[in-house]
Amino acid sequence: MAELSKTQIKRVEQHKDRWSSFGKGTGILDIAEKPTPEVLRNYTLFREFDDKFLERLSPDISIARWKKNSMLFEEGSYIDVAFLIVAGEIQVSIEKQRENTQQLPIFNRSRTMIAGSGGLKPPAQAGMTVFQGQIAKQPVDGSPITYLASVDFNLPSDGVMTLGPGEIFGEIGALSGWPQSVTAKTSSECELVQIRVPALRLLRKRSASLKKLLDTLYRERALFSQLKNTPLFGGLPDSLLRSLVERIELVSCDPDEAIANEGEPCDALYLVRSGFVKMSQRVGEGNIVVSYLSKGGILGDVELLIEGTAGWVYTANSKEYSELAKLSRADLKEILSRNPGVESVLWNSAVNRLKESGYSRRVLRQSEFLDTALGKGLVEGNSILVIDLNVCTRCDDCVRGCADTHGGIPRFVREGDKIANLLVTRACYHCEDPVCLVGCPTGAIRRADVGDVVEIDDKLCIGCHTCANNCPYDAITMLSTGETWPADAIPEGFRGKEKELASKCDLCYTDPAGPACVRSCPHGCATRVGNVAEFRSLLRE
Amino acid sequence: MSKIDLKQWVQEPVWFTGFAAALLACILGYLVNILVSEVNPGNWWGMTYGTVATLLMAGDVLYAAKRRMLRYNLGKSSSWVQFHLYGGALFAVLVLMHTGFRLPVGAMNWMLWILSLWVTGSGLFGVMLQRWIPTILSSGLSVEALYDRIPDLVAGIRERAERIVAGSTETVRDFYSATVAGALSAPQYRAIYFLDVTGGIKEKLKPFEYVRPLLTAEEKDRLSQLEEMFRTKLELDAHYTLQRPLRWWLYTHVPLSFALVILVVLHLYAVLVY
Repeated sequence: MAELSKTQIKRVEQHKDRWSSFGKGTGILDIAEKPTPEVLRNYTLFREFDDKFLERLSPDISIARWKKNSMLFEEGSYIDVAFLIVAGEIQVSIEKQRENTQQLPIFNRSRTMIAGSGGLKPPAQAGMTVFQGQIAKQPVDGSPITYLASVDFNLPSDGVMTLGPGEIFGEIGALSGWPQSVTAKTSSECELVQIRVPALRLLRKRSASLKKLLDTLYRERALFSQLKNTPLFGGLPDSLLRSLVERIELVSCDPDEAIANEGEPCDALYLVRSGFVKMSQRVGEGNIVVSYLSKGGILGDVELLIEGTAGWVYTANSKEYSELAKLSRADLKEILSRNPGVESVLWNSAVNRLKESGYSRRVLRQSEFLDTALGKGLVEGNSILVIDLNVCTRCDDCVRGCADTHGGIPRFVREGDKIANLLVTRACYHCEDPVCLVGCPTGAIRRADVGDVVEIDDKLCIGCHTCANNCPYDAITMLSTGETWPADAIPEGFRGKEKELASKCDLCYTDPAGPACVRSCPHGCATRVGNVAEFRSLLRE
Repeated sequence: MSKIDLKQWVQEPVWFTGFAAALLACILGYLVNILVSEVNPGNWWGMTYGTVATLLMAGDVLYAAKRRMLRYNLGKSSSWVQFHLYGGALFAVLVLMHTGFRLPVGAMNWMLWILSLWVTGSGLFGVMLQRWIPTILSSGLSVEALYDRIPDLVAGIRERAERIVAGSTETVRDFYSATVAGALSAPQYRAIYFLDVTGGIKEKLKPFEYVRPLLTAEEKDRLSQLEEMFRTKLELDAHYTLQRPLRWWLYTHVPLSFALVILVVLHLYAVLVY
């Protein structure tokens, strides 16, 4: 038997969560994992595909029978699975009374290099500790950046909706990496086809009808609210917005897929709904990275606003899987003619983009750094622990400080990628899209209600490894408790296994003095950075 | 000296400015002392120098305690270190002022005098190491390693290399035994790294180029893996060599610092009681 690669092992491990046989005994009565093509063809969704394609999908699909009143996912949780209801009913509801839920931005303006003034920002705001700086990163009214709200059902507060056979749900959060805005429970015994993200992406790419269905659901459940809550379109009358919802094209891109090619005709404006877009420009015989877009970023502003621009000024490629909204030139013109305010928002964005790309072209090290930042995932991090190796005496006080603050066990390793003089440690990045939260069966890993902090509640953690396997930066470690799960443990997957606990940096968020690693460093070389501009400012030439 | 060099050596300019001001105050005070009074450890002036020096020493010693209480929020460690550093330097100046820049009399005073200068000198030597070694470590090495883990990392490299070699042809096996195996046996201390952080790594990798044309495509791939491991091991040797003085230096400073504290306590007892 061929040896499994590290990625394959991670993939197998990732599915040990509440929606797999690992979670049997909780809400799942029966589950069939990796169904054969014959079994899959019992469901209309899969009938049009050949055996080879269905075999490819199979590892990421399961068919589960859930008992009545089972919790499928909670509001605020991150999931990597969409559900197709075969039989039974599901109740989706907004359970918690969250103020301004629909206005919560999933995009944080301080994370872009072009936020605010457009120049590179200083590493920290004056008079603020690093920790205060992390918390203080809140959007500002009138910002040139477009926010996309974390909404995937247009439900009123405390609203309830019942979904029945043939309906799909959970797909928006799964595909975009956004937290769920609703809670989903079975209101009767249900049979569900559970489709993991890799299979969902493949299906959507292959099946025009499924793509159409998912797009329709997105328009119905999310798009109107999202547009309504963006500074770019928020001021438009509802009637225009509703017509935009129908006219906007929803685009999904694979890693490295081209969205725009420099010099080719530009006929549309793109809004990034999720993922990252790498923007490059031709210099000499090659291309250099000049900027990037994250959630809420706008592509096409420069091209559509500046008269005489022949075509795309940039080449834009999806860095990973990304989702975009595409608005045609004609529709944009209509909006601009009726709402001049939109134009000023676009101008701000365009000017900042031009400033940034100009800087990257002049200073090639900036371009090189952007490329590295995208490649190493630095663009994801809200609080990355970096150490200036030019100053670090390797005394390990940062690690000891962390350990002393957390009961003797450090929550990071002073190892990792080296970028010029900086060491990017294996400490939690507190990511913008925290994939570690996806699939946690108990909700133990979650966003703390402070800034962007991701924390683990030891009382809820059952040591299933899901978060550790999901983390792309190896920033979560599993600690042994020295105990063993009893033979009647639920979920059944645990029985007889060693009890473990997931451990990761919590940014010492309950301590007003800030992270122990930073304050324990005797040479001031340990720093928390919240965006690539801060990171760049620490690099030595 | 370039701007970056200055930043490397004077990490917190505010503290440096404070130190310079305090040093100037000391010099001016001493000049006034010479003009108005005799320089004597037993008079008011001398006692004042000694008292301030003792207080600075006590503050410096507290840093050692602070390092053992990292869980408590006692301020930024970097501020403590700056106090430790500049306070220690001022301590030595004040000790010299206390003795009137004269050689001491009596065994106890000699010991105090020598230990004060030794502790300050070894501290300054440590500061120099701490400014110099990190710069060379980060300048030419692609690998970063924890000093205590280096033996384990080398063992891991050796195991992986031996697995690769076990499935290789005789040519690769012979090459490994003759050129690589010895170097992978354990971390090696090589003083050359102090002068050149690459330690001639490029030259040491040349034999790989000689053997490469003799191999099949598959074997070449294996050789490349071995070459990468060899390079990593040599870089780990650089860390092993250069990080060692950063740790060992403390043995020249800390134990004698505590001896100095004990002697100062005895000195105070002698002065105050007798």
